[in-house]
Amino acid sequence: MRKQRGKITDLVFLAITAITAFSVIAISIGIFIVLFKESLPAINKFGFAGFIFSNEWDPVKELFGAAPALIGTLITSFFSLLLAVPIALGIAIFITEIAPSFLKGIIGTAIELLAAIPSIIYGMWGLFTLAPIMSQDIEPFLQSTIGKLPLIGKLFEGTPLGVDLFTASIILSIMIIPFTASIARDSFNLTPSVLKESAYAIGATKWEVVKDVVLPYSKLGVLGGVGLSLGRALGETMAVAFVLGNLNQIPTSLFDAAATVTVKLANEFTEADKDIYLSSLYYLALLLFIMSFTILAIAKLFLLKAKRQ
Amino acid sequence: MILKKRKIVSSIALFICFLTACWGIFWLTFIIIDVLRHGITAINPELFLKDPAPPGEAGGGLRNAFIGHLLITVFATLIGVPVGVLGGTFLAEYGRKYNISKVISTLADIMVSVPAIIIGAFIYAIIVKPLGHFSGWAGAVALGIIMIPTVLRTTENMLSLIPWTLREAAFALGAPYYKVIIQVVYRGAATGILTGIILAIARVTGEAAPLLFTAFNNNYFSLDMSQPIASLTVTIFQYAMGPYEEWHAQAWGAALMITVFILLATITGRLLIKRRYKD
Repeated sequence: MRKQRGKITDLVFLAITAITAFSVIAISIGIFIVLFKESLPAINKFGFAGFIFSNEWDPVKELFGAAPALIGTLITSFFSLLLAVPIALGIAIFITEIAPSFLKGIIGTAIELLAAIPSIIYGMWGLFTLAPIMSQDIEPFLQSTIGKLPLIGKLFEGTPLGVDLFTASIILSIMIIPFTASIARDSFNLTPSVLKESAYAIGATKWEVVKDVVLPYSKLGVLGGVGLSLGRALGETMAVAFVLGNLNQIPTSLFDAAATVTVKLANEFTEADKDIYLSSLYYLALLLFIMSFTILAIAKLFLLKAKRQ
Repeated sequence: MILKKRKIVSSIALFICFLTACWGIFWLTFIIIDVLRHGITAINPELFLKDPAPPGEAGGGLRNAFIGHLLITVFATLIGVPVGVLGGTFLAEYGRKYNISKVISTLADIMVSVPAIIIGAFIYAIIVKPLGHFSGWAGAVALGIIMIPTVLRTTENMLSLIPWTLREAAFALGAPYYKVIIQVVYRGAATGILTGIILAIARVTGEAAPLLFTAFNNNYFSLDMSQPIASLTVTIFQYAMGPYEEWHAQAWGAALMITVFILLATITGRLLIKRRYKD
């Protein structure tokens, strides 16, 4: 009798845990279906190519296109990765190969705290502290040096206002450093010490060991970390919302104000008074969801493969 | 000669790595000091005890936002933690042999990093739109959903660290599986699970994007979760983007409180886990 009851309770517990575990699948699929359903009117009206290649964003004429927001998202993400990845790798190398053991923990924790600071704090700090420094000192300095070069100089044209792609990318790059750094650190640590020691034994310097043994051995893990950071950068909202200006135009210089998908959503979602307006915003959200989900999934695959190695 | 050159190259490269670490630490200290410097002048009893004054007028505080934020976070925790812990239990215990469990844990890893604003848009469509108005409940559900994958993954990891022999010992005494889990496995993994919960709470406390179009905002004091309710993060966004000096100061005060809370919670979580799993 008692055993019977134990069995029933066990089944009930099993059922409850199974349902909660499957809720993750339900939520993921649910998000996709709901976003798709909400964006259907916009999909029907503008199509796919007609939406992503159009510059128009006119609530009065009810014409909507995603090009400026998508380009803004891609530029900020790309530029922040370009800045963050080398630095994050440097930090990981410093922690695993150079730092004395008492510093390892401290620096590792400090870098991870960068990830704990909420994005709204980054945004506020960016608006009130970093943007003025950018517009008064750093951006004019860049204009008078790199800005004078042919071709690249074009990227640094315009009035340096501080509220632009450049500031937003710098802030984003600081925010995503910890994601690449901590995964790169873990992958570096997985390099068998026999491999490293054999390189030292034939007279390699420390840097040569890092460059020719550790980095090639852990490249899958590092790529996974970079993908994860890219996924984060694509979806970052509040930090960028403060310093990008939400200007619907295709930027020609890094010192232009712009918009990203997330900034558009954050600023306009509650103002969307017409169905097609809201539906277009959902269409943007759907595109963002698909982009970040795909990139995160690829990154996760790399990490799983690296783990199995 | 060549050897000397290689040694110099090595030293330079390693020095650059050292500089990158300084770069990271520099921004961390810069941000924390800046938030402290601006925030500390805005901290006074009024900030916690009074509701907002009309725009542009001096005085007033953010009592409504502090209480609203607390309510939303508490209810989000009540949604996210049970679902996350139980789901993680399935993955590490009953379902550990099935492929679907691996799929769920991979999916959860992806969902941890999915943009929070997407969750906000999702909740807007399934809760706010049908009800016709913003509500505290919608905000709590949004944050709860963000918590689930984090808590689920830590629970799964922590439970898998408990050695199988321990479970087998309990099985040998004739205990059914659920009793083994609750009385043996959970007890062994309690610190780890608690850490996961603390870190998840720390993460959602700083979220603003999913609250923008779920809980929205409210300039008045309210305990009614079925109505729009103020939160610190949304208030920071509104005040910092607003035109008044008063607002900016209060936004810095709120930013300081949130930063201090989150950094303390994160560090506590890390220390807890370090003490429990020294290796």
